[in-house]
Amino acid sequence: MIGAMEVASFEFTSVDVAFVGLAAASIATGYRVFRTDSMIRATFLLLASFLNVGAMMLLLAAPYMGVALMFMMTVEMVVMALFMLMFMMNPAGLNPMNMVHQPRMAAFGGVVGFAALAAVAVLGDYPDRPVDQAEDSIAALGEELLGDSMVIFETAGVTLLAAMVGAVALTSSQGRFGDGLEGSLPPTLRPGSENRPEDDLYDPNEGGMDHGAMDHGAMDHGAMDHGAMDHGAMSEGEMDHGAMDHGASADHDAGEHR
Amino acid sequence: MTPIAHASPLSAVIVVFCVLAVGGYLVAVLDRAASCLIAGRELSSDVLLDPMRSAAWRLSQQTVRTERPDAPIVAIAPAIYLTLAAAGLVIVPMSEGFVGADLPTGVVVWGTIEALIIVAVFFHGWGPNSPFAMVAGFRFIAVGLSYGLISMFILIGASLPAESLSISAIVDSQASLWNVIRQPLGLPLFLLVALGATMRGPFDVIDSRDLAGGSSVESSGVDHLLWSAGRHAALTSFAVIGSALFLGGWHGPLLPGSVWMLLKSVFLLVVLVAASHAAAGVPPRRLITLLWLGALPASFLALAEAGLVAL
Repeated sequence: MIGAMEVASFEFTSVDVAFVGLAAASIATGYRVFRTDSMIRATFLLLASFLNVGAMMLLLAAPYMGVALMFMMTVEMVVMALFMLMFMMNPAGLNPMNMVHQPRMAAFGGVVGFAALAAVAVLGDYPDRPVDQAEDSIAALGEELLGDSMVIFETAGVTLLAAMVGAVALTSSQGRFGDGLEGSLPPTLRPGSENRPEDDLYDPNEGGMDHGAMDHGAMDHGAMDHGAMDHGAMSEGEMDHGAMDHGASADHDAGEHR
Repeated sequence: MTPIAHASPLSAVIVVFCVLAVGGYLVAVLDRAASCLIAGRELSSDVLLDPMRSAAWRLSQQTVRTERPDAPIVAIAPAIYLTLAAAGLVIVPMSEGFVGADLPTGVVVWGTIEALIIVAVFFHGWGPNSPFAMVAGFRFIAVGLSYGLISMFILIGASLPAESLSISAIVDSQASLWNVIRQPLGLPLFLLVALGATMRGPFDVIDSRDLAGGSSVESSGVDHLLWSAGRHAALTSFAVIGSALFLGGWHGPLLPGSVWMLLKSVFLLVVLVAASHAAAGVPPRRLITLLWLGALPASFLALAEAGLVAL
């Protein structure tokens, strides 16, 4: 534990000021992640938070780890943004939406977790071994990674590379047997015509009247189908305004709540 | 580690700003000169003055806003791009001992800058709430990640002979033999990445005609001027880094180091602008195929070759 006398004699250098500033920015952007209503803003606020952490690691004389964190997180967040937009249930994730599930539980968990980690950071008993600034920490890190542990790291690296190559090969539309899109047709919006798999779900002679209104909507707004209706009904205010509206297309509603 | 001679912060800031401004303007002039030469027109003083005229026109133009844009993202996209271009110059030694910040992880920082360029371009496409711009933003994620991979391998290759990630150390390692000779594949691939990251010539699938201007379709006035400035400045940054990593930096006979650096950077700028005008455009789908089946294996080869030579 740090004694009161030591605290009193502690001098604030410019590095300390920068560290506190970066820490505050990191927490502020991290908090904003959950207060924004846009997937993209949330993703890149999280990136901003990580970049601040990376800069803090630079101050802590861990230059490689800090810059590598910035690099990795940038690529990771870009890919995450892309995939979230691709797979969101509302059109391309463009509608404003709440970023929090179970808000009270999440807030409670967040505060408890923060307090626990802060307690470890403040109350923990750490060894006092200042790093010599002249020491080449990058060389030491390289020695650690590629010295005795080389087999482990190289095995993991080659395995990951093989997985990446395999994933690209599997998802490529140009396979051994030609273009994967050859002969495919875009789905039609007209009920009862060919290439409309959802029409197999009901018999047009029986249930025609029940589905009439929905089919009308589907004809006008191709993005909305049975699945979108279900999600809209189930999300219970997560999307605080109707994804079920006929006008729930990207250009109409994006940014309504800003 | 070699003793580090930092430039004073003020002089470094001034030099970085001057290089970006002059280099960016030079790119604009070279662009117009290349258009003139290709069209068979005579070069005149218009080529020198035209960038200033079009900048003045952009400044006086009204800035058109789209319906419900993501305003903060629209505003910071060009700022991020320009900042990244400047950050790239800070870590390069401009002459012997003159470097803004001689980071021991210089090339990794440059890799991070290239990755963050993806964020800037995606923001520029995402912000205006416009379909073509958004398609362009998504396209750049796809091609940008490919550029990132290619760039990573050739940057590692360039740092192998120096046995260091510091750009100063990489420049020092080329005192007797430049990397462009030691690693013949490195520089062409680096220039390819440069053209891609600044969306030029054959790799311009982002701000391209098939998307009616792509990520820039909605930008006008000062916004458009800043975005163009960012693209030009980033190309300058690429040229300067390229001459430090592959053309021996400030090393050279007779002339002082800064003059060599200037000559090499201008040479790379001319090559980059010429390539962006001389090569035909590529559709995005074929571009991805070319990048993954052509350029990426070439970068593997470049790294293997660099490793063998370094051994």
